[in-house]
Amino acid sequence: MPFPHDLLLPLLRWATFGLLALTGGLVLVGTVLQYRKDRQNRHRIACYQAWETQLTDYLFKRGFEHESFGPVPWADRWLFRDFLARYQSTIAGQEFELLRELYLSMGLHASLPQRLKDRDPNVRAQAAKEISVFRLDEPAEHAPPPVTERPWRWKPGIRMEGYLEQVLPLLDDPVPFVAHTAAQALTHSRSLRFAAPVLAWVMREELYQRERLLRVLEGFGPDLLPWMKENLESPNQNPEPWILYALLVGSHRHRESLPRLLWLLDVPSVDLRASVLKALIILADPEVYPRVLSLAASPAWEIRAQVARALGVLGGPSAVPDLLPLMTDPVYEVRRNAAQSLVDLGHSGVSALSWLAEDPGSDRFARDMARERLEWADERGHL
Amino acid sequence: MVLVERGRLFPMTRRWPAQTTILVVEDDPATAKIIQVRLEMEGLKVLVAANGMDALEILHRDQVDMITTDLMMPAMNGFRLVQEVRDLAPPKGRIPILLLSSNHSEQDMVRCLAAGADDYMAKPISVQVMVERLWRLYERSHRVG
Repeated sequence: MPFPHDLLLPLLRWATFGLLALTGGLVLVGTVLQYRKDRQNRHRIACYQAWETQLTDYLFKRGFEHESFGPVPWADRWLFRDFLARYQSTIAGQEFELLRELYLSMGLHASLPQRLKDRDPNVRAQAAKEISVFRLDEPAEHAPPPVTERPWRWKPGIRMEGYLEQVLPLLDDPVPFVAHTAAQALTHSRSLRFAAPVLAWVMREELYQRERLLRVLEGFGPDLLPWMKENLESPNQNPEPWILYALLVGSHRHRESLPRLLWLLDVPSVDLRASVLKALIILADPEVYPRVLSLAASPAWEIRAQVARALGVLGGPSAVPDLLPLMTDPVYEVRRNAAQSLVDLGHSGVSALSWLAEDPGSDRFARDMARERLEWADERGHL
Repeated sequence: MVLVERGRLFPMTRRWPAQTTILVVEDDPATAKIIQVRLEMEGLKVLVAANGMDALEILHRDQVDMITTDLMMPAMNGFRLVQEVRDLAPPKGRIPILLLSSNHSEQDMVRCLAAGADDYMAKPISVQVMVERLWRLYERSHRVG
């Protein structure tokens, strides 16, 4: 059927009108939204400015002229929560205890269970952080106040304890920084009941990230080491967690774990042995020198490289004769570590390096490495 | 003179000379305000800068007796500020500096002190402890001076 030409003009007119109406409507909605956003921002700035003054009075003049912080309207609770969050990483000591008191007395923690499940990853991470920073694992202190004293809308049935257990599922969060914050919250509690899930989370991470994640595990404190000793499966079956154990012994400088470290040196895993040697370097016990020296002929260059560093630290100037053979090692990293150990030993080590550098009969690789390290040390004024 | 905190009285043993001025370099206004108010309660005159560049400008313009600076800041960070201050001719080049950082690594502490800072505190900080450390630095610099 042919299109009736007399309808074309009215149709175009209506279409244009409709388009203009739609554009106008969208502009209006945009303007209203922008106006609301500006108004919220102005309100936020005004609130923050007022609260900053109230907070300094509350922190420093309490008991003198300001007994409490003052009322915060219910509608501004979420703003106040964000306001307090600005101080959680910077303030400690007495002032932080007062902040915590304020946070709990205003019932800001009541929304945590919902926030831990929020769709926004930033909200989930912030909730986990608050549980850790404000120490909500101490149940007696954050029980709900009596009904008459509740300044906030109390929802019957809301959980007021077991916050850390609610953080646990966040270890499987698809957003890495949320999982990382959850792990930090759990370790910050120093409660070893979370050691197994946090360790399992660390083990799921990529190998290259593990040493960085040691920082998280360090949060448990040195008590984690005896727990690992008791609970980890045999290093011969699964050496991976024992690598973390060795590195943690080093970072905590936990001398009581030295016998276990020496025992781990007998495990055939190269990565584990190299990590144990790193820990032995930090513990710096000269008694273990003969045991470390026995690994100087290891077929794995990663082990020989660590031995080259360890001998200098553990043996002092008397290690020079044992370091010189490592200067002829076929692997560059081993020669460099041996040369660096000699430089670090001071006069006796530098003399040995100078002799190597100038002796035309010495090994060519050893001579080149000696020259390179001497130049390096000279440039930095170490000679 | 006493300070009233948490309903208890703490005798204030520090005797800052009148008009002692401290420059607080901190990019986070919330933290800067807390530090400023606490130091003003000590009777100190407090100047606030948001970064190292502003701090240097204030330092050239005003008389400053001590500096406390954050490490990570835009425009010019704490390390650089310490180096710039130490390059100035005395007495400004010898102003005691307390560095505050949210990084807890041993290397950073060593770097801060090697750059010429007199002391280092890792965040989160207790403002009470910070005031004590500033007092010790002030005492020491004036004994040495």
